[in-house]
Amino acid sequence: MNAREEVFLELTRSICPVCREVIDAELNARAGKVFLRKRCDEHGEFEALVYGDADRYLEIQRYNKPGTLPLAFQTEVADGCPSDCGICPAHKQHSCLGIIEVNTACNLDCPICFAESGTGPQHNGDGGFSLTLEQVEGMLDAFLAAEGEPEAVQFSGGEPSIHREIVPMLAAARERGIKLVMLNTNGIRLARDRRFAPALAALGVHVYLQFDGFKDSTHRAIRGRLLQREKQRALDACAAAGVGVSLAAAVELGVNDDELGAIVRFGVEHPAVNSVFFQPVTHSGRYLDFDPLERLTNVEVIHGIATQLPEWFREDDFIPVPCCSPTCRSATYALYDGDDLVPLPRLVDIDDYLDYVTNRAVPDLEVRSALEGLFSASAAGGTERTGERLECVACGVGLPEELRDVAAKGFMIVIQDFQDPYTLDVRKLMKCCVSEITPHGRLIPFCAYNSVGYREQIRAELSVNNGGERR
Amino acid sequence: MSMQPVPFVELLESDFASCCAQLYQEPAVRWLLDGRLHPGGEELTLRAAELAGIGEGSRVLDVASGAGTTAALLARELGAEVVGVELNESAVAEARAAAAEAGLDGAVSFAQGDAGALSLADASVDAVLCECSLCLFEDKPAAVREMARVLRPGGSVVVADVTVNREILPAPLLSGAARVACVADALPLEGYELLLRDAGLHVGWVEQRCDAIAAMADRVEARLRAARIMRAPALEPFRSGLDDAVGLARLAKQAIADGALGYALLVGARTR
Repeated sequence: MNAREEVFLELTRSICPVCREVIDAELNARAGKVFLRKRCDEHGEFEALVYGDADRYLEIQRYNKPGTLPLAFQTEVADGCPSDCGICPAHKQHSCLGIIEVNTACNLDCPICFAESGTGPQHNGDGGFSLTLEQVEGMLDAFLAAEGEPEAVQFSGGEPSIHREIVPMLAAARERGIKLVMLNTNGIRLARDRRFAPALAALGVHVYLQFDGFKDSTHRAIRGRLLQREKQRALDACAAAGVGVSLAAAVELGVNDDELGAIVRFGVEHPAVNSVFFQPVTHSGRYLDFDPLERLTNVEVIHGIATQLPEWFREDDFIPVPCCSPTCRSATYALYDGDDLVPLPRLVDIDDYLDYVTNRAVPDLEVRSALEGLFSASAAGGTERTGERLECVACGVGLPEELRDVAAKGFMIVIQDFQDPYTLDVRKLMKCCVSEITPHGRLIPFCAYNSVGYREQIRAELSVNNGGERR
Repeated sequence: MSMQPVPFVELLESDFASCCAQLYQEPAVRWLLDGRLHPGGEELTLRAAELAGIGEGSRVLDVASGAGTTAALLARELGAEVVGVELNESAVAEARAAAAEAGLDGAVSFAQGDAGALSLADASVDAVLCECSLCLFEDKPAAVREMARVLRPGGSVVVADVTVNREILPAPLLSGAARVACVADALPLEGYELLLRDAGLHVGWVEQRCDAIAAMADRVEARLRAARIMRAPALEPFRSGLDDAVGLARLAKQAIADGALGYALLVGARTR
């Protein structure tokens, strides 16, 4: 008798990427990688690569922090995950980061958009929506009711910067004491409207700037237009106004996975930039034409950074973020002085603090708590909170004061593999800590929102056709 | 039954040995090594203790006991009674103070002395540990003979040390700075085996732990580079050499990867 070519790891649940029916799914290790396979009675079998390194996948399960209970749940358990979002009482984590999509209109038509936004009438007119300030205030209040003192909120869309009331919306978040208020933007308004960056600076808003690379081919494939000059102008406007920026790169196999090192180097050298987020492109929304077996996961992105910047990074510098499922997000912090760069994990034995499964004494609980704040979905480089936490870690592990000052400016790099209808695994979803806040005041885990059908449902409810208001 | 503190032993110092012992007391060096003065830290010390058969009530000699970290660990974790012998006077004082503060002064004691002329009686201890320091001793055979002498029949010496393959070791790792970092005077694995055998011990177990020294070299390199980034005053005396030191650390990392440098635990048993 022949042996199977794969090792069965576990049974979970997923959805059919065609009809969205909830179905059983298997996780298997094969050829050193982890795959999710499932079968829909009607649409057949589907298989997707979910993690590019089976050893690491198993090894990092230790980085799994016990969840925190939110102050309020918005739904009840009825049909089971992922049909009860959310957040339902069966969810294993609170929301580190809330996302508010203020509109569906955009000034770009990116081929990869997972939010199905754009310039056409279907996004600006009857098929789309544009929230009112009152709606956004209600959403922020719902977030406060669930979180008490929320760590971070991100305004997104569509393109939120073109919403007429975006500045009052950001101000409303600040007024509610949310520590990190981010604007997720393509930067076009920042490049063209010279009053915009100072307005953000006055509110202490952090910019999350789409920034996918430098090549013309990258811009065409991911954004459909050449935007290098706009990006540069936007960044320089932020630097001049004193606005902190995270670069957010959508990374696609064979498109810009050769530009990871260049993006990091550009980021550490630009005065406005204090973090880089790499996100393997999500295959939901309008971007569905791809091979789920040939995709990037966090592993390939980490490998790419280490290969392209060997003088600065290696793969073990990237630590699994323990607030969500450890395979969803990895991050590192780096000390940089304009010349050399040293990743924080080489100076602090992070394993001593963020391994929650191996039973051993934590050397210093304050340091653990600071590291938990740093390796969290609510963190961004260069913010006051991040600086305080880095200083606490540096102090707790005996780094001299001078190094604490450098550490406090630590540059952050994050790799986040969001799930799509092919890769969705409810086991990971149940510990998701990034939530879409809906106008009804629900908090729907981000990957459920994009994959399971919530996005379409909410958009339909909000659209002008259904009594929404044109703004 | 607790052991009497070892009486003061006349210092038989050679310049080199005292310079090394002194260096490891420097705050800058301690910082570079993150307090872990030998590869593998506590984990490897406990492994060495396991190999030496150290347990509740074992009488242990720790040769080159430094600030007393290993002695305290063995007393605290395993309930051993430990005598530490250390060349550096201030380290001895520090070790005594730390033991008193930890309430371990009944279980551990320290004496200033030379490994080549111990004041302990023949066959007076159950086990001897010598971590990452034999490579520094000028007269290695004398030191190992002393370990064998004070060990009771049936007991074990565990030597943990840097191993070197001179034929492929890059020349800069044999110069001054590397010398004090345990490299230049280190032996090949067989050299340590021979030392133990020549002292009449039976070498029954050898454990190579290149991973431990690789992690240490990595930590030192990262901390040197971090120091260069922040300009630490603790490293002021070394500033001019910081770039050289980073280069040396990188060379050492490569040498470890190439097998020119390693780390090993050797167990020598006294059979009679």
